[in-house]
Amino acid sequence: MNNRVRELRGEHAWSQADLAERLDVSRQTVNAIETGKYDPSLPLAFKIARLFGLSIESIFEPEPPVTPPAISRHPME
Amino acid sequence: MSRLTYRQYQRRTLFAITLYTVFMLSVWPIVHTVGNLPLKILLALAPLIPMFYVLAQLARLIRDSDELEQRTHLIALGVATGVTAALSLLGGFLSIAQVLPLDGSVLIWVFPLMMASYGITRWYVARAYGHDVACAGESGLAPAGRLLLLALITGVAALYAWRHDWDSFRTGLLCGMAGASAVLGLLLGMARWRSRGLPDE
Repeated sequence: MNNRVRELRGEHAWSQADLAERLDVSRQTVNAIETGKYDPSLPLAFKIARLFGLSIESIFEPEPPVTPPAISRHPME
Repeated sequence: MSRLTYRQYQRRTLFAITLYTVFMLSVWPIVHTVGNLPLKILLALAPLIPMFYVLAQLARLIRDSDELEQRTHLIALGVATGVTAALSLLGGFLSIAQVLPLDGSVLIWVFPLMMASYGITRWYVARAYGHDVACAGESGLAPAGRLLLLALITGVAALYAWRHDWDSFRTGLLCGMAGASAVLGLLLGMARWRSRGLPDE
Protein backbone atom coordinates (compact mmCIF):
# COMPACT_ATOMS: atom_id res chain seq x y z
CA MET A 1 0.00 0.00 0.00
CA ASN A 2 1.30 3.46 -0.87
CA ASN A 3 0.96 6.28 1.61
CA ARG A 4 1.76 9.96 2.12
CA VAL A 5 2.80 9.75 5.75
CA ARG A 6 6.39 10.85 5.14
CA GLU A 7 5.25 13.79 2.99
CA LEU A 8 2.66 14.89 5.57
CA ARG A 9 5.14 14.53 8.41
CA GLY A 10 7.57 16.72 6.42
CA GLU A 11 4.89 19.37 5.98
CA HIS A 12 4.46 19.53 9.74
CA ALA A 13 8.25 19.53 10.25
CA TRP A 14 8.01 16.59 12.60
CA SER A 15 10.71 14.01 13.07
CA GLN A 16 9.82 10.31 13.05
CA ALA A 17 10.19 10.36 16.82
CA ASP A 18 7.73 13.30 17.09
CA LEU A 19 5.15 11.48 15.00
CA ALA A 20 5.72 8.24 16.89
CA GLU A 21 5.10 10.01 20.18
CA ARG A 22 1.87 11.56 18.88
CA LEU A 23 0.65 8.18 17.62
CA ASP A 24 1.87 6.28 20.72
CA VAL A 25 3.94 3.84 18.65
CA SER A 26 7.67 3.29 18.27
CA ARG A 27 9.79 5.35 15.85
CA GLN A 28 10.61 2.13 14.03
CA THR A 29 6.92 1.48 13.38
CA VAL A 30 6.59 4.95 11.86
CA ASN A 31 9.60 4.17 9.67
CA ALA A 32 8.10 0.81 8.60
CA ILE A 33 4.81 2.52 7.65
CA GLU A 34 6.57 5.31 5.73
CA THR A 35 8.70 2.88 3.75
CA GLY A 36 5.67 0.72 2.96
CA LYS A 37 7.05 -2.30 4.78
CA TYR A 38 4.08 -2.40 7.14
CA ASP A 39 0.44 -1.51 6.59
CA PRO A 40 -1.07 -0.13 9.80
CA SER A 41 -4.22 -1.55 11.36
CA LEU A 42 -7.50 0.29 10.81
CA PRO A 43 -7.44 1.97 14.28
CA LEU A 44 -3.88 3.22 13.69
CA ALA A 45 -4.75 4.38 10.17
CA PHE A 46 -7.70 6.35 11.63
CA LYS A 47 -5.38 7.81 14.26
CA ILE A 48 -2.93 8.94 11.55
CA ALA A 49 -5.76 10.41 9.46
CA ARG A 50 -7.21 12.25 12.45
CA LEU A 51 -3.78 13.61 13.39
CA PHE A 52 -3.27 15.12 9.94
CA GLY A 53 -6.93 16.17 9.62
CA LEU A 54 -7.44 14.15 6.45
CA SER A 55 -9.42 11.11 5.36
CA ILE A 56 -7.81 7.68 5.31
CA GLU A 57 -8.23 7.42 1.53
CA SER A 58 -6.28 10.63 0.99
CA ILE A 59 -3.32 9.25 2.94
CA PHE A 60 -3.34 5.57 2.06
CA GLU A 61 -4.04 4.17 -1.35
CA PRO A 62 -3.87 0.52 -2.37
CA GLU A 63 -1.40 -0.66 -4.96
CA PRO A 64 -2.93 -0.55 -8.43
CA PRO A 65 -4.38 -3.98 -9.24
CA VAL A 66 -2.29 -6.11 -11.51
CA THR A 67 -4.16 -6.33 -14.78
CA PRO A 68 -4.04 -9.76 -16.36
CA PRO A 69 -2.58 -9.83 -19.87
CA ALA A 70 -5.21 -9.47 -22.52
CA ILE A 71 -6.22 -12.83 -23.92
CA SER A 72 -6.47 -12.75 -27.65
CA ARG A 73 -9.66 -14.31 -28.80
CA HIS A 74 -9.45 -17.19 -31.17
CA PRO A 75 -10.29 -15.93 -34.68
CA MET A 76 -12.85 -18.71 -35.08
CA GLU A 77 -14.86 -17.59 -31.99
CA MET B 1 2.17 1.43 35.75
CA SER B 2 4.67 3.09 33.36
CA ARG B 3 5.52 1.62 29.97
CA LEU B 4 8.49 -0.74 29.98
CA THR B 5 11.14 0.35 27.48
CA TYR B 6 13.32 -2.11 25.62
CA ARG B 7 16.37 -0.76 27.40
CA GLN B 8 14.78 -1.38 30.82
CA TYR B 9 13.77 -4.87 29.69
CA GLN B 10 17.33 -5.66 28.62
CA ARG B 11 18.81 -4.33 31.85
CA ARG B 12 16.42 -6.39 33.97
CA THR B 13 16.83 -9.61 32.01
CA LEU B 14 20.60 -9.19 32.05
CA PHE B 15 20.48 -8.88 35.83
CA ALA B 16 18.28 -12.01 36.08
CA ILE B 17 20.54 -14.02 33.73
CA THR B 18 23.65 -12.98 35.69
CA LEU B 19 21.95 -14.02 38.92
CA TYR B 20 20.94 -17.33 37.35
CA THR B 21 24.49 -18.00 36.10
CA VAL B 22 26.08 -17.13 39.46
CA PHE B 23 23.58 -19.36 41.23
CA MET B 24 24.12 -22.26 38.83
CA LEU B 25 27.90 -22.01 39.21
CA SER B 26 28.09 -21.46 42.94
CA VAL B 27 25.09 -23.17 44.54
CA TRP B 28 23.88 -25.76 42.03
CA PRO B 29 26.95 -28.06 42.33
CA ILE B 30 26.26 -28.58 46.05
CA VAL B 31 22.58 -29.51 45.57
CA HIS B 32 23.50 -33.21 45.26
CA THR B 33 25.32 -33.17 48.58
CA VAL B 34 22.58 -31.51 50.64
CA GLY B 35 20.93 -34.06 52.93
CA ASN B 36 17.99 -31.99 54.14
CA LEU B 37 15.13 -32.71 51.69
CA PRO B 38 13.21 -29.40 52.00
CA LEU B 39 16.48 -27.45 51.54
CA LYS B 40 17.40 -29.65 48.59
CA ILE B 41 14.05 -28.95 46.90
CA LEU B 42 14.40 -25.25 47.65
CA LEU B 43 17.89 -25.08 46.12
CA ALA B 44 16.88 -27.20 43.13
CA LEU B 45 13.92 -24.97 42.33
CA ALA B 46 15.59 -21.62 43.12
CA PRO B 47 16.75 -21.06 39.49
CA LEU B 48 13.05 -20.87 38.57
CA ILE B 49 12.82 -17.46 40.26
CA PRO B 50 14.99 -15.57 37.71
CA MET B 51 13.35 -17.60 34.93
CA PHE B 52 9.83 -16.54 35.94
CA TYR B 53 11.09 -12.99 36.40
CA VAL B 54 12.39 -12.96 32.80
CA LEU B 55 9.06 -14.37 31.56
CA ALA B 56 7.14 -11.70 33.48
CA GLN B 57 9.33 -8.96 31.97
CA LEU B 58 8.83 -10.42 28.50
CA ALA B 59 5.05 -10.50 29.00
CA ARG B 60 5.14 -6.89 30.16
CA LEU B 61 7.29 -5.84 27.21
CA ILE B 62 4.87 -7.46 24.75
CA ARG B 63 1.85 -5.93 26.50
CA ASP B 64 3.41 -2.45 26.28
CA SER B 65 4.51 -2.83 22.63
CA ASP B 66 2.74 -1.28 19.67
CA GLU B 67 0.97 -3.36 17.01
CA LEU B 68 3.99 -3.96 14.77
CA GLU B 69 6.23 -4.88 17.70
CA GLN B 70 3.55 -7.26 18.98
CA ARG B 71 3.47 -8.89 15.57
CA THR B 72 7.24 -9.46 15.59
CA HIS B 73 7.02 -10.86 19.15
CA LEU B 74 4.22 -13.19 18.11
CA ILE B 75 6.10 -14.52 15.07
CA ALA B 76 9.28 -14.95 17.11
CA LEU B 77 7.46 -16.79 19.91
CA GLY B 78 5.73 -19.05 17.37
CA VAL B 79 9.02 -19.94 15.67
CA ALA B 80 10.78 -20.42 19.03
CA THR B 81 8.02 -22.79 20.20
CA GLY B 82 8.27 -24.77 16.97
CA VAL B 83 12.07 -24.99 17.04
CA THR B 84 12.11 -26.04 20.71
CA ALA B 85 9.39 -28.65 20.18
CA ALA B 86 11.10 -30.06 17.08
CA LEU B 87 14.54 -30.27 18.72
CA SER B 88 13.05 -31.82 21.88
CA LEU B 89 11.33 -34.45 19.76
CA LEU B 90 14.55 -35.04 17.81
CA GLY B 91 16.55 -35.44 21.04
CA GLY B 92 13.88 -37.74 22.47
CA PHE B 93 13.93 -40.03 19.42
CA LEU B 94 17.75 -40.17 19.34
CA SER B 95 17.81 -40.90 23.07
CA ILE B 96 15.25 -43.72 22.76
CA ALA B 97 17.26 -45.15 19.86
CA GLN B 98 20.31 -44.95 22.17
CA VAL B 99 22.19 -42.83 19.68
CA LEU B 100 22.54 -39.91 22.12
CA PRO B 101 23.09 -40.63 25.81
CA LEU B 102 20.69 -37.99 27.16
CA ASP B 103 19.37 -37.96 30.70
CA GLY B 104 16.80 -35.76 32.45
CA SER B 105 19.33 -32.97 33.06
CA VAL B 106 19.14 -32.03 29.38
CA LEU B 107 15.75 -30.45 30.15
CA ILE B 108 17.47 -27.43 31.71
CA TRP B 109 18.47 -26.42 28.17
CA VAL B 110 14.86 -26.14 26.98
CA PHE B 111 14.30 -22.64 28.30
CA PRO B 112 17.65 -21.19 27.08
CA LEU B 113 17.04 -22.80 23.67
CA MET B 114 13.59 -21.24 23.47
CA MET B 115 14.87 -17.81 24.47
CA ALA B 116 17.76 -18.01 21.98
CA SER B 117 15.40 -19.03 19.15
CA TYR B 118 13.02 -16.24 20.14
CA GLY B 119 15.81 -13.63 20.17
CA ILE B 120 17.29 -14.65 16.82
CA THR B 121 13.88 -14.86 15.11
CA ARG B 122 12.75 -11.53 16.48
CA TRP B 123 15.95 -9.90 15.26
CA TYR B 124 15.43 -11.43 11.81
CA VAL B 125 11.72 -10.51 11.56
CA ALA B 126 12.33 -6.98 12.84
CA ARG B 127 14.98 -6.51 10.15
CA ALA B 128 12.46 -7.53 7.49
CA TYR B 129 10.25 -4.64 8.65
CA GLY B 130 13.19 -2.26 8.46
CA HIS B 131 13.64 -2.16 12.22
CA ASP B 132 17.10 -1.73 13.53
CA VAL B 133 16.92 -3.69 16.77
CA ALA B 134 20.61 -2.87 17.00
CA CYS B 135 19.90 0.82 17.36
CA ALA B 136 21.52 1.17 20.77
CA GLY B 137 20.42 4.73 21.33
CA GLU B 138 16.78 3.76 21.28
CA SER B 139 16.48 0.04 21.77
CA GLY B 140 19.28 -0.79 24.18
CA LEU B 141 22.36 -2.93 23.71
CA ALA B 142 23.22 -3.87 20.11
CA PRO B 143 23.03 -7.58 19.11
CA ALA B 144 26.81 -7.69 18.70
CA GLY B 145 27.21 -6.42 22.26
CA ARG B 146 24.63 -8.90 23.52
CA LEU B 147 26.40 -11.80 21.81
CA LEU B 148 29.78 -10.74 23.18
CA LEU B 149 28.24 -10.50 26.65
CA LEU B 150 26.76 -13.97 26.22
CA ALA B 151 30.20 -15.18 25.10
CA LEU B 152 31.71 -13.69 28.25
CA ILE B 153 29.12 -15.30 30.55
CA THR B 154 29.36 -18.73 28.91
CA GLY B 155 33.14 -18.37 28.76
CA VAL B 156 33.31 -17.79 32.52
CA ALA B 157 30.97 -20.77 33.01
CA ALA B 158 33.21 -22.91 30.73
CA LEU B 159 36.29 -21.86 32.68
CA TYR B 160 34.54 -22.77 35.91
CA ALA B 161 33.51 -26.14 34.45
CA TRP B 162 37.09 -26.84 33.33
CA ARG B 163 38.57 -25.88 36.72
CA HIS B 164 36.05 -28.04 38.59
CA ASP B 165 36.40 -31.13 36.41
CA TRP B 166 32.90 -31.17 34.99
CA ASP B 167 32.28 -33.90 32.43
CA SER B 168 33.67 -33.27 28.96
CA PHE B 169 30.19 -33.00 27.33
CA ARG B 170 29.08 -30.07 29.48
CA THR B 171 32.47 -28.35 29.37
CA GLY B 172 32.61 -28.77 25.59
CA LEU B 173 29.07 -27.46 25.20
CA LEU B 174 29.88 -24.33 27.20
CA CYS B 175 33.15 -23.80 25.28
CA GLY B 176 31.30 -24.20 21.97
CA MET B 177 28.59 -21.75 23.00
CA ALA B 178 31.18 -19.20 24.14
CA GLY B 179 33.21 -19.54 20.95
CA ALA B 180 30.19 -19.40 18.63
CA SER B 181 28.74 -16.36 20.44
CA ALA B 182 32.09 -14.57 20.31
CA VAL B 183 32.58 -15.22 16.59
CA LEU B 184 29.01 -14.23 15.73
CA GLY B 185 29.25 -11.13 17.93
CA LEU B 186 32.50 -10.06 16.27
CA LEU B 187 31.08 -10.65 12.77
CA LEU B 188 27.93 -8.64 13.56
CA GLY B 189 30.03 -5.89 15.15
CA MET B 190 32.27 -5.71 12.08
CA ALA B 191 29.27 -5.66 9.73
CA ARG B 192 27.70 -2.85 11.72
CA TRP B 193 30.97 -0.92 11.86
CA ARG B 194 31.38 -1.23 8.07
CA SER B 195 27.79 -0.09 7.41
CA ARG B 196 28.14 3.00 9.60
CA GLY B 197 29.28 5.09 6.66
CA LEU B 198 26.24 4.24 4.55
CA PRO B 199 23.50 6.91 4.28
CA ASP B 200 20.28 6.34 6.24
CA GLU B 201 17.18 5.26 4.38
